[in-house]
Amino acid sequence: MTPRGIQIISGPDFNMFLEAIMAVQTVIGPRERGDQPGYYLFSRLQRAEDFAPGYKTTTLPPKKILASPKEKLFSFTFDKPPRLRLHVDASPFVLLGVHPCDLAGIDALDHAYAHPPAEMRWSANRKRATIIGLDCQPDAYCFCSSVGTDAARIPCDLFLTPIDHGYLAEIHSDRGRQLLQKANTSNAGEEELAAAKRWRQQKVERIRAKFDAPLERIADILETGGLTPTWKETAKRCYSCGSCNTACPTCFCFDMIDELDPDLRGGTRYRTWDSCQLLDFAMVAGGHNFRGERWQRVRHRWQRKFLYLFRQFGRPYCTGCGRCSRACTVDINIVDVTNQLIAAAKMEG
Amino acid sequence: MAAPDRQQAADISIISYMPERAKVISTHRESSATTIELVLEDGRPLHHSPGQFVQVSVFGYGEAPLSLCSSPTRSESFSICVQPKGNVSRAITALSSGDWVGIRGPYGQGFFPIDQMRRKNVLLVAGGIGIAPLRSLIHFICDKQKDYGRLQVVYGAKTPSTLLFQKETAQWVENPHLDFYLTVDQPDKTWQGRTGVVTEPLREMDLAPDNTIAAICGPPVMFRFVAMELLQKGLSGENIYFSLERRFKCGIGKCGHCQLNDLYVCRDGPVFRYSDLQTRKEAGEAWVPEKAQDAAKEEKR
Repeated sequence: MTPRGIQIISGPDFNMFLEAIMAVQTVIGPRERGDQPGYYLFSRLQRAEDFAPGYKTTTLPPKKILASPKEKLFSFTFDKPPRLRLHVDASPFVLLGVHPCDLAGIDALDHAYAHPPAEMRWSANRKRATIIGLDCQPDAYCFCSSVGTDAARIPCDLFLTPIDHGYLAEIHSDRGRQLLQKANTSNAGEEELAAAKRWRQQKVERIRAKFDAPLERIADILETGGLTPTWKETAKRCYSCGSCNTACPTCFCFDMIDELDPDLRGGTRYRTWDSCQLLDFAMVAGGHNFRGERWQRVRHRWQRKFLYLFRQFGRPYCTGCGRCSRACTVDINIVDVTNQLIAAAKMEG
Repeated sequence: MAAPDRQQAADISIISYMPERAKVISTHRESSATTIELVLEDGRPLHHSPGQFVQVSVFGYGEAPLSLCSSPTRSESFSICVQPKGNVSRAITALSSGDWVGIRGPYGQGFFPIDQMRRKNVLLVAGGIGIAPLRSLIHFICDKQKDYGRLQVVYGAKTPSTLLFQKETAQWVENPHLDFYLTVDQPDKTWQGRTGVVTEPLREMDLAPDNTIAAICGPPVMFRFVAMELLQKGLSGENIYFSLERRFKCGIGKCGHCQLNDLYVCRDGPVFRYSDLQTRKEAGEAWVPEKAQDAAKEEKR
């Protein structure tokens, strides 16, 4: 996406920019975990120095900020009639340092939640957020170039590419332009534009993990079927722990639960993340389980990401971030398995 | 920002997951299920069509999707029929009149293409609790009798004591506009009616295959056998409708629990043409369960 303007901001100026934002609103961004050095998470930044611009990935995607793992929907009382109160949080915040793959993840959820009937909760949280993207360099698990998200800019207000001594800042919305007015910036010269281009080129060149077929072909392969041996083989290793769903920036299945207040006069209904890999995901009250076999659940995950939602929204529900592969306790790698499926389909002819 | 959000919550095209309040006005307990009659707080009709469902909240327990078993032609109240099988459904069966619940919906595409059924013969096949959503349609058709052809209903239950809506079914037997076939799988000493599964009366029935629309609701294993019987009688797959059960959490095609291949059962159904289900692998897998599932069931027995 062509930016509406490009500015340069130096490292020290960027820190002052962050401090200026933090003075008026919450900034959420990637920071190193105090308890686990080398691991990063999206959380509130207290000081500009907390921002870890060189982070490779986070365990959980930034979707947790917009639809939290356990999200308050409304509260109720046990009066007759019960009193119900919708939970609304309208405080604005800045979501900083979102990689292109995770921007694509937020965009995927925008499509899913906004598809009629639209969901209020997601859109209300999205309106609160000003998003600042950040370009990255891949690790061995990244495969964004296979799903077309390596240069994603939707939806962000500003997008930063690291260059010597600072950032090249692309402006993508009026909100972004307004925010950037807090910063001391200069116009971009040929040299800086070339540096940012080099960064992007290097990034794509360094990506090692790749799908062996285009997305349309993968969808066809999944639709044709006949892949049961590969599903069963993968399922033999799978623990059905649901880590892949939890770590995924596009997974949006959920459950709803009630919790009681300590005084037992009322309680709260929450929405919680759910996982299609868990045994009881498709089980109904009578005990019938519509996806009782582990291989059916493994198959379901692939079909949903690369077939059903791909056909419904014209985009894969996979951003190439590699989090599911990193999180998997038995090293089931999404790229390897997809390539096995492609190979199996070739054998079938 | 709070003000526009509240406006959004009132807009039905934007979902907040907060239910409306509704009051229990009567309960009717039978040995295997309880029928609960409800009215929305403001007394307005629910405006549902037969086959749709509502999400019923018992605050503190949670929410469960339940088929409406009343007809919109009798709009002063609406009813659900519940078997106490899970936490929420147990709480619902324990309700008494005067209690309050939360209601979201009605959801789903509604039943059977009521318009297409006009002037046609309608055959309904219910197994067990599957009679609940079909009762809505039975009442609907009985109330608009002139618009429809012959109404035939086959209802099978496991034992005589698990038969639902017993007072009503006794009336259905007497109703000259309704051919009612009642059968139980495991009769007791007092049972004088028909025994066997629902496909047995179907086999004897005289159907006009080109002028009949069939609608079926029951346990997954029943679907395949009923479909086979009806196809054999010359009905086409487009004229056979199934009402499916899945785990609906949201009711609007978001939460993912009810996905059946590319379909969301809650949003695209829960009523589907047999011909549309035939092309969906996961539908077949539910009707012909893997050996492991069968074995697990055997063990339970």
